[in-house]
Amino acid sequence: MTIFLINPRSGVPIYIQLVDQVKRAVALGTLSPGEQLPTVKALALDLTVNANTVARAYRELERDRVIETSPGRGSFVRSEPGSGEVRRAIEDVGASVLADAVRETRSLGLERATVTALFERALDRWFNGTSSEISPEEK
Amino acid sequence: MNTISIRNLTKRYGEQVAVDALSLEVESGSVCGLLGPNGAGKSTAFKCLLGLIRPTTGELAISGAPVSPSTFESLAYVPEKNTLYEWMTVKEHFELCRRTYARFDAARASELAALFKLDSGKKIKRLSKGQQTAVALALAFSIRPPVLVLDEPASGLDPIFQRTVLDLIIDAAAGGATVLFSSHQIGQVERAADRVAILKNGKLVLDGNLDTLKGDEKIVEAVFDLDALSPNGLASDPRIRRIVRNGRILRAYVRSGSEEIAASLEALHPKSVSVYDLSLEDIFLGAVSDAAPTSGDA
Repeated sequence: MTIFLINPRSGVPIYIQLVDQVKRAVALGTLSPGEQLPTVKALALDLTVNANTVARAYRELERDRVIETSPGRGSFVRSEPGSGEVRRAIEDVGASVLADAVRETRSLGLERATVTALFERALDRWFNGTSSEISPEEK
Repeated sequence: MNTISIRNLTKRYGEQVAVDALSLEVESGSVCGLLGPNGAGKSTAFKCLLGLIRPTTGELAISGAPVSPSTFESLAYVPEKNTLYEWMTVKEHFELCRRTYARFDAARASELAALFKLDSGKKIKRLSKGQQTAVALALAFSIRPPVLVLDEPASGLDPIFQRTVLDLIIDAAAGGATVLFSSHQIGQVERAADRVAILKNGKLVLDGNLDTLKGDEKIVEAVFDLDALSPNGLASDPRIRRIVRNGRILRAYVRSGSEEIAASLEALHPKSVSVYDLSLEDIFLGAVSDAAPTSGDA
């Protein structure tokens, strides 16, 4: 069973979905630092997607310094645990998810202050008790 | 290197133009999915490429040379309608293939026969349409061909064997083979191909890397307080395929540059601007419904 889930029908390019999935797996620890990734061909067949598309995702992940590839050995999650690159990569995924959400709330015609209030309500719900540095001002 | 090269191919049947100045290059290791409505010229283009019919004009090459008997040694073509011999058994077809192709791999052939659950003792005429397609595909892949041209390769197959075909295509290309295939099923192209070409009335209307197309082609929608204005500057923007207005809503179908186009729409002070992704199906339907860039289309 693959740990990645791809939706080829989506309008989001497949390689971008895969890049996000790998970053997410690293963030959640389902892929550990130093762990070997499947070969491009093995993952392509596992997901039934084109191998050049998988290779493009791997190149992107190398560029973002999430994985490293050594010729003849394969691709690995970079070994420095909690390294800046991996954390930044994960923040990138978060930033793009939030940017989409903010764009959508704005397109509904909501004011900035309303969006901020909604955002804080969401933070309260999902970070309940775990994040003391964010204290909601209004209720 | 471009393993499959079609340059300026035109095929006329009397007054009718089946393929119209088609140019398409497929790199080694790439899978190109050819989409198009019925009668768009896909099969005709394939037959011209393979030298089965004579093009009116155009230069066609496989691995840098025009198609010749030696090209056929390393090429597998599965036509839309199978060319199997009705009175022969499955096993006899494999034997014929072994004698014809130096590249024939007996071990691979057995694997493929098992994969498609072929009954090797059965005559072709006793097989269903789907099973016949499976035989043609098993024969094609049994020579481990560096170049594959597949015309509707999964037609008549059930969803499980359709997936098998996609896996075979993906596996072959991952090993360096070049694949050109046509399909009516966009989902197959979406998975197997890294490259998409769309034909309409014999003309290439869209061609590019699948993920790049998905990244570029968007709908930018603006909603206004009053009826949508006519966005004068944008109508002639080459990045915009077409603009549709309906009351307070304006939608621009863009080829690329969605962020900049969204920003130009913002300048008209709409209530909101949103950018929507397009699936390959949306992109396909958009491309074949567009008015042709040059006149001559019905």
